[in-house]
Amino acid sequence: MLILTQVTQFESLVGVNPWTALFTFCNMIITFLLLKKFLFKPVKKMIDERQKEIDDMYREAEAAKTEAAKLQADYEEHLSSARAERDEILRDAVSRARKRETEILTEAKSDAAALMAKAESDIAQEKKKALNEVKNEISSLSISIAETVVEREITRADQERLVMEFIGKLGEDND
Amino acid sequence: MEVNGPKIYLQINGMNVITQTTVASFAVMVLLCVAGYFLGRNLKKRPGRMQVLTEKGVSMLYGLVEETMGKHNAYWTPYIGALFLSSIGGSLIGMTGIFRSATSDVSTTITWALMTSFLVWGCTIKNSGLKNFLKGYINPLNIVSDIAQPVSMAFRHFGNIMGGGVLTSILYTGLAGLSSLVVGAVRANGWAVTGVTALVGAALLFLGFKKGKLAGKIFGAVFAAIAAAAALELLGIFREIPILEVGIPAVLSLYFDIFSGGIQALVFSLLTMVYVGMACPPREEKGK
Repeated sequence: MLILTQVTQFESLVGVNPWTALFTFCNMIITFLLLKKFLFKPVKKMIDERQKEIDDMYREAEAAKTEAAKLQADYEEHLSSARAERDEILRDAVSRARKRETEILTEAKSDAAALMAKAESDIAQEKKKALNEVKNEISSLSISIAETVVEREITRADQERLVMEFIGKLGEDND
Repeated sequence: MEVNGPKIYLQINGMNVITQTTVASFAVMVLLCVAGYFLGRNLKKRPGRMQVLTEKGVSMLYGLVEETMGKHNAYWTPYIGALFLSSIGGSLIGMTGIFRSATSDVSTTITWALMTSFLVWGCTIKNSGLKNFLKGYINPLNIVSDIAQPVSMAFRHFGNIMGGGVLTSILYTGLAGLSSLVVGAVRANGWAVTGVTALVGAALLFLGFKKGKLAGKIFGAVFAAIAAAAALELLGIFREIPILEVGIPAVLSLYFDIFSGGIQALVFSLLTMVYVGMACPPREEKGK
């Protein structure tokens, strides 16, 4: 039988009422579950997400900074290597030009020397030729002179003898 | 003056099913859940003022739990938070005058304390095994301490809040008696004494404001109020005005209700954290 009574009595000041305890327990559990679902979890999640975002941003900034430093180092290295290359090329070119210069000079000198030698030999040959021509001229001239002088026909043997005599004399004179 | 337990609202088969405490604890639950729902709604990455406050509170709770119980026990925060808020809400709801403080009933505090105890026992069994848990009771003193622990927690909380309430009601009764005595004395001597009291009060008030002294202002106000009450009684408009009950209890209420309620909520949650934290040691220490 269920007897519902509404009373205006008071409980004792210090006493445990199991019904109150049960209701308190249920209320506590409900409060805990609802607060956890609606307050603690979302707020904590939000805080953590924001923290993560901030951390990510810092990490990205740090990465960008390192990247920039690396790029700058690369760039400087490139620049200095380009400079070195340029210097190398210049030095190379200069040395090659010097080499070429000396080569040309020596070539020219040797050419000139060869030309001189050729000219000298030519001259010597011409001189010899001229001398031989002169000798022949002189021999024919002397024969004709002799013919005129003798005014007679001399035999071929005589003629040969006379010429040789003459030349021999001429040679003696020349010497 | 009477100091009573919670009022009984409904009896079923002679059992006190619904009392003032039940209603108050239900009201606290509804308030907390509604407040929690509205505070935890529409969270944004760039928070508004309310969200900043909420986040501050939540992260403070997490900080407290992590500091007391260790980082690995941070998942206890929602329970500790609910306990703390229920406790402080249960104490403060008595100040509304509509409800009786839920925490000035042993039934409430013993329930919370037993919940703490069961959590501790559960964690101990979970972390070190039933055998080790039972082995702990070879020493019979541990049984005593396990009984004493929730009882002391419950009665500490209950006693502080209930004692504050009792003191406040004693103060009200005392002040009512004092004011009827003083006002009665002034009134009994007729208009002349009432006028003199009013004059003294006015003079004290004037001097207090002129020199900026607090004592002058307070005593002036008291004298003026007594004179006014006596005058009203002489005119027959009111009788027995407990004029001294104005103002003075507010100062004490600040201590007994707000400060004491906060402290007890903190103590209760801290004890729960310490006991449960000891039962849930960090993972690497488990093997020892």
